[in-house]
Formats: sequence, structure tokens, C-alpha cells
Amino acid sequence: MIAPPPLRQRVSQNQLIATAGCLLLALLPHLLSLRRWLIAAILAAGGMRVLLALRGRDAPPRMLSAAVALLAILMLFTMFRSFSGLAAGTALLTLTASLKLLETRTRRDLCVIVLIVYFLCLTALLADASFWLLGYTLLVAWVTSACLLRSTTVTAELNARDSLRDTGRLLLQAVPIALVLWLFFPRFAEPLWHLPQPENAATTGLSDTLSPGDITDLALSDEVVMRAHFRGAVPPPRERYWRGPVLFDFDGRTWRRHDPDLIASPPLEPRGPAYVYTLNLEPHGHNWIYALDSPSSWDLARAYLTADYMLAQPNAIAQPLEVTVTSYTQTDSPSGLGSALRRRDTRLPADSNPRTRAFAAQLRALHPDDADYVAAVLKMFQTEQYFYTLEPPPLGADSVDQFLFETKRGFCGHYASAFAVLMRAADIPARVVTGYYGGTYNRYADYWLVRQSDAHAWVEVWIEGHGWMRVDPTSAIAPGRVEHSVRDAESASAALGMPLPNRLPWLRDLRLRTDALRELWRARILQYNQGAQQRLLARFNVPEPDVRKLVMVLAAALSLTLAWLTWHVRRELSPDAREPAVRAFDRLCAKLAACGLRRAASEPAESFALRVAGARPDLAAEVAALCRGYNELRYGARAGEADVGRFTAAVRAFRPRAVRGAFTPRGSRASS
Amino acid sequence: MNSPAQIATKAFRAWQARKFGNADPRPHRIDRRRIYILPTGFGLILATLDVAMLIAALNYNSNLALAFAFLMASLALVAMHHCHRNLLDLCIDCVPETDGFAGAPLEFRFLLRNPSRLARREIEVRCAQFGAAVTSIGAGETVALAVPIAAAPRGVLRLTQFEVRTLYPFRWFFAWTYVQAPLTAYLAPRPAGAARPRGTAGSSGASHETQGDEEFAGLRPYAPGTPLKHMAWKVLARGGEPAVRNYTGLAAEPEWLDWAALRGQDAESRLEQLCRWVLDASDARQSYGLKLPGVELVPAQGPAHRLACLRALAGFAAPSAVR
Repeated sequence: MIAPPPLRQRVSQNQLIATAGCLLLALLPHLLSLRRWLIAAILAAGGMRVLLALRGRDAPPRMLSAAVALLAILMLFTMFRSFSGLAAGTALLTLTASLKLLETRTRRDLCVIVLIVYFLCLTALLADASFWLLGYTLLVAWVTSACLLRSTTVTAELNARDSLRDTGRLLLQAVPIALVLWLFFPRFAEPLWHLPQPENAATTGLSDTLSPGDITDLALSDEVVMRAHFRGAVPPPRERYWRGPVLFDFDGRTWRRHDPDLIASPPLEPRGPAYVYTLNLEPHGHNWIYALDSPSSWDLARAYLTADYMLAQPNAIAQPLEVTVTSYTQTDSPSGLGSALRRRDTRLPADSNPRTRAFAAQLRALHPDDADYVAAVLKMFQTEQYFYTLEPPPLGADSVDQFLFETKRGFCGHYASAFAVLMRAADIPARVVTGYYGGTYNRYADYWLVRQSDAHAWVEVWIEGHGWMRVDPTSAIAPGRVEHSVRDAESASAALGMPLPNRLPWLRDLRLRTDALRELWRARILQYNQGAQQRLLARFNVPEPDVRKLVMVLAAALSLTLAWLTWHVRRELSPDAREPAVRAFDRLCAKLAACGLRRAASEPAESFALRVAGARPDLAAEVAALCRGYNELRYGARAGEADVGRFTAAVRAFRPRAVRGAFTPRGSRASS
Repeated sequence: MNSPAQIATKAFRAWQARKFGNADPRPHRIDRRRIYILPTGFGLILATLDVAMLIAALNYNSNLALAFAFLMASLALVAMHHCHRNLLDLCIDCVPETDGFAGAPLEFRFLLRNPSRLARREIEVRCAQFGAAVTSIGAGETVALAVPIAAAPRGVLRLTQFEVRTLYPFRWFFAWTYVQAPLTAYLAPRPAGAARPRGTAGSSGASHETQGDEEFAGLRPYAPGTPLKHMAWKVLARGGEPAVRNYTGLAAEPEWLDWAALRGQDAESRLEQLCRWVLDASDARQSYGLKLPGVELVPAQGPAHRLACLRALAGFAAPSAVR
């Protein structure tokens, strides 16, 4: 007869509570994404079981658990309609884990929960890829494994601290192997079957409408929009306009754009230098890519240019996107604007903003030339009492009239909108472009950081013979008329493209450093892909690695690491890991043995030194000193680390010259 | 022994016995080449989970998730190494023979020595299907382990090998080795029946419990286990060697405990009766002999004789279980 298998044994109160704790730790990263009723159900199930355990009671009857489980899973299914996908899968997993906890009776049940905890850690990492989360999940995996270690042992010696230490050691030994696997495991350019789209891609940043009159307090966040690495030349500050949605449909108050525009756009002829840069876009939930002015080529097959030269991709950007683009900041369009596009970009609602249109007609009469008219409007903004503020007064139905002639206060959106209306009223094709202007250069990692606070709006007007010309009416405002509070000093200066005194330079510096680290994390770890893997292998002289070569490299690296592990474990196992002094003395004896001076195993160091002195007078003093040093280290009263180090160094420096036939081993001399 | 796993285990053990003979030196140091390791069911489930994690990470193109999946796989690999090293170089010794009675629990005793600097946890010694015990051995320590054997019928239990196994850490892997060392358990019959009647054949009928009837018959050297009242204290007080007074009872002639005298009963009852008598006679410090068909143990005294008699009773015409 044999005792019941350990996994069939009943769980102890401690084991149960420890495992419940681990489960709770693993659930924490998911709490934000889980529905409230689900969290309540999970906590209720887990809490109930822990309470039962604390009172020394067993799990509730199986029928009850089964009924609860069935009910919960039905509710889940009606909510998600399927169990595939990250959100539904995570919900199912968490629910299963807590229900399993509720019905836990034996240690085997705990093992199942531990496995679920591992998978929950993984799904947390799938949903969010931050450095801290990785650290946290590793911590959870460590604690959970320690818990598993305790639940799977029979003898009582293993306390919590021992199990944590043992598991920690195992994990540390696993890290090099994991690293090798991670570096050399073949990456695929495309996902295995389909790229799962996050179910709720939040939209952030710019939208595809602009109604300046509605916003009275433009709160600009420091949220990162993207990071841009320029390869080679960086465009001058005046040309760092990152183009986003182009708004052309104006209803008197709001600018909009419509997506499928099948209008042919006039071809562009580049002028000036091309700029090559890599954008790392944070997901923003829209489909456009903030490229510099006029993109001419890009390395994203599914991306395309709209009729307004906006770079876009078919679906919303829900995951970090990396794209390398070549752009020109100056272009000509010698051919004329198509009539459809001209009609679209000069249309104004007939009954809106009458004062603006009347004013435009007057001004147009004075400046029949398009370029002159543009300059005149800009001059008006510059000389008259127009103010830049992030807290403009609200505007009524004829928002442009009210802004231009009454309030005269606004931010880039107001100026762009008013300017475009003035252009259209003079029959000059114009459209509002929203995007970002400038960015902060991060000297710690050589990239430009574009934040939400860099958001900007400007106008493009069609000048016959030149094509679309960018006009930034906001920049026409005299610097003295910029109203800024402490909060928006930086944003305002960015929007106007002028440097303002920095109040907290060290804080700004710290933020840049942190962002540089984040960028490093993103570029080196999160974006470690096929290309990066190939570059790494090229360093190891493995050019053009295909899967076969990769597998070979992986196997080689893995066997080396496993050999290290075996050696490491054996070394820990060996009973006589000797002190450094003994090892050094062994080396000394080996050196002398190479000269024919072999020390007998039973021979004390001092008598060996004497014997060496007899055979090799030239080595006598040195060997005698070394042997005395050894004896002092081994048997002396005071011997510190430094002494051992000195002795080891002296042994290393000792290089006896071999003399043939100079020495008779002790045994043979005694017999002769 | 019906399930495929059991058949495979049996075949494997037989092959081990053929390969390594049945005379491992004692103490036996567990050699690298004789440790076998396989994943457990739990380990296989973990492997499946890890593959699922890997696929999820690859499909979501998440490098962090991939790193986590690889870390779990590496943890399993490291656990495998540690499971193997948990047995490696462990020194194990056993007491090859053990004695007991039918229907009563008995135990095989082992001595495990851990010469290394790492603790060995969860070492299980298993005597085929008869019993198993688990222990942990600290660094440099020696631990005595008794493997309890469940109650069994009368007979001789012979094992040609025993198994040392471990599932530490995590029970993901299962490492084991067979030590080819014979272990024998003698299960004497359960003592039963009537006390030996006085004055029956072969006996003088004298009471052996009354020490007064006995005559002093010289001294003999002290042996451990002698009752204190038999000690020759005077000799000791004089400064001599410890000695024991020897008595010769009036019934000095040896008593034969004879199978043939118990006619009319079945074999097991006879053996149980004989066992009772052996024990009685031994307790009474009486000289006795045992006669079984084909076996005759000449009258003698002392623990060795008692053991020989009990083993003879255990082994009498019994199908000895060899495992």
C-alpha cells in the first residue's frame, strides 16, 4: 500500500491562500480591461473560497460550483458572442481561474490554477508592452512558481523563504536560455494566421473635424504622438510640418473631410532636397500617418496617398507602427487643378459668414493677384490686434465673422479656419490641414519627439503655376500678442515656432532622457523583428540567414547555454569546491611539476620547498616564499581577502624555467 | 500488471536487472548513466500550455509575450536539469534483510548520504509496489529512511532491486534510478494458538518461569541484552569483566518444537502455533529446537537462533515473492 499521490492530497489553508494571492496578483493588470460584473464575480468566488478555508471548511458542493460556472460562462458568451480574441479570452481565463479556486479541493486543482496564472501573465503582456509590466509579470511568475514548488512537495522542510529562494535561483538560471531563444528564434514577417485587431482601439489626437468655435479651452497633453528619426539631413524648422487629416468640407462652422475621395490629384514635381526618415507612430485609432509634407515613397505596402497627399492605410492604426518615408517639403504642380477639386476647395455655404465674404470681396478688389491677396491677409493678421490664446471665447453660428471682427482671439484652428474662408471667398482654392508642427529633438537618442501639444492647423492654398502652397496664418501673429499661461507656455511656443524661455530646463531634460529610454526599449526590444535579427546575425558572420541557418544558430547557441547550465549545476554539486588559496597552490604545484618537481600528495608545503631548494637552488627563494605564504593563508591566524589575492597573483607571476634532468623525484632518491 | 505503463515499467526493470546484474556495491553512488528522466503528465500539460503561449505571442507579434513564453520553457528546462541532479551522486545504502510477522507492518531501512553542497529535496525510495517513503537530505547530511511495507501474508518477500526517484522541483519531470541490491523481508506467521502445554512429549514438564528451581552453573561473558538480575554484580564489583550467572534449569534438556506434533490442523495454523511457541520459548530464555518437514534447527538459545527459527517458519513451503 502506498500513500495517496501527493497531488491528490487535500490542500492546506496556507497553500490555498497563497495560490489565491498569486491569482489576485496576476489579475491586477487585467482589472482595467475587465467588465465590472466579471471582477465582482471573480472576487466573490475567490473570496468565498478563502473565507471557507479560513473557517476550516471544504469547497462548496460540486453541483453548486458547476451551476455557477455554467451560468457565468453563459453570461460571458452572451456578452462576447465568441471566446476568441484577447478580451474574451482573458475574461474566460480569469473566470475559469476563480471558479477553479472556488472548487479547489486537492493540490492538483492548485496546479491548474498556477498554469492559468502563467497564461494570464502572458495575456497581460499581449495587451500592454511596457517595461514595468514585464517586470511585474516576472515577479508574479516567480511568486507563483514558488507557490507551486511548495504545493508539490511532500516533505515539510520547504518553508516560504526557501521556496522563493530556490525558485528564484531556477529562474535566474533560466534567463540566459530564454535570452538565447528570444534572440535566435526565427521571427516571421507576417503573423501566423491573422493579425488580431484590438476590439476597442481608442482614438486619440487629431480628429477628422475642426470646429474652432466650440473649443474654449484647448487642453494639450504631453502624450507622445510619434518619434521621427531622420536619416541624413533634417529639414529646417520652418518646414517641419507633419501633415495629418486634410479638411476641405466647410459648413460655415465646422471643417470636415470625407474618406473615399476619388478625385484625381494634380501630379507633383519635387523641388529641393528629399528627406528620409523613420516614423514610429503610437496607435491613434485613425488611418492616417503623419508624414512630412509630400511623401514620395514609403516602405509600407498597404499605405497609399489620398487626393490631398495624405499618407494613409486602409485600417485604423491600433498598434505601434513603424514606417520609413521619403518626403519633399517643396513641390510644384505645373499642371492646373482639376475642376472637381477646384470646385470642392472653393465651396463656401452661401448663407454663412456674410461679413467675412464682404470683407474678402473688398480686399480682393485691391489685390487681384492671388499671391498678393494671400500676403495682404497675412499682413492683416500681423498688424491688427489679433491675439493667440489657448483659452478663446466661444463663437456663435457665423464663427469666422465673429472671430475676425469681434473676438480676435484664438489658436491655430481659428486662424487656419478664418484664413481658408477668406481665401475661398476670394475664389482661391484653399483647405485646412491639421497635423503637428515641429517636435522636440532628443539629443540622447537622436530623434524628434512629437507630442499632442505639438498639434497644429494650417492652410494650403492653390497658387496657379506653383500648385499647393502651405500658409501658416498663426505664425503671422506678432510674438507680443501671444497670451500664455504657465501651463501652455511650451505648447504656445511650439505652435508659433518660437523659443520661449524654459522655466524648468532640468525637468525637460529628465523627460527627454526618460523618453530616450522608452524609445530604446521600443526600438531594441519591442521592435526586434526579422530585420533586426538578420543584422544581429550578420555581426556573427552569418549573412542572409534563412530559417534553416537560424535554426542551426539557435541550436548551437542553445547547446552552448545548456552546456553552461550543466557545468554550473555540476559545480554546485561538487563536494569539494576548494578555497582560492588551495587552487592557487595547486597551480603552483602544477607549474613545478612541469619542471619535473612533483609534490607527493602527503608532502607538506614546507618540506616540498626544502626539496625544491635542494634540486633547483635558482628557484629556492621564490618557492620557499610562496610555500610560506600558502601556509600562512591556510593555517595562519590572520588572512584576509587581500592576502589571498596577493598570493594568487604571486603564483600567477611565478614562471619556473624547466631544466632537464635536474631533479630526481623523492621516491627514487630514497631508494638509491 | 495490466496497463501498458505497468507492462513497460516491468520490462524496463527486468532489462535494468539484466544490464546491471544484482550486485551493486553498498553504499551505491547514483551514477549519471543510470538516471532516467521523463516528463510527468503535469509536465506535458505545461509543455502544451507553453506551445499555446508561444503561438499566441508569435501571432500577436509581441516580443514581450514571446520572452515570457521562452522564460517559462527555459524554467522547465532548468527544472529538468535540477530534477536530474537531485539524484546525481547521491549515496544510498540499505539494510538488506528485514523481519516481521504476517499481517503486521514492517519496514526496509535505508541510509542516504548527500555529499554535495546542495540540498536534495523530495527523494523517494520505492520498494516496487510494496511501499515508498520520501525524505529530504540537507547538504553534506546523512538521513536514515524507513520504507514501510504494508501488511502482507506469511512468506519471504524478495526484491532484486529498489527504486530511487524524485519529482522535485515542480513535479514537471520524474527522474529515477534502479539500485540493483537484493532486499529480503521475512514475514513469519502470526503467532497464535495455545501456550505450550507442560509435560507433553519431549519436555520434562518443568516450569521455566520459576527461576528458583534452577541451579547456578558457572559464569559466562556478558552479552548485551542480558536481564540485569542475571548479572554477576559481585564479579563486576571485584573489578573483573562483566559476567552473567548461568543457570541450568531442572528442565535443562532441550525442547523440540515439532511440526509433526500438531497433527490435525492445517499448515498455516501449525506454523502459527509453532511461531507462538518459538516466541514463548525464546522469551523464557529456554533452549529449543525446531522441526519442520525437511528443516531441522538444533536446539539453541539467543536472538540469532530465534531469528533463524522465525525465518524458517516464514520461508516454509511458502511461495516466496520475488520482485
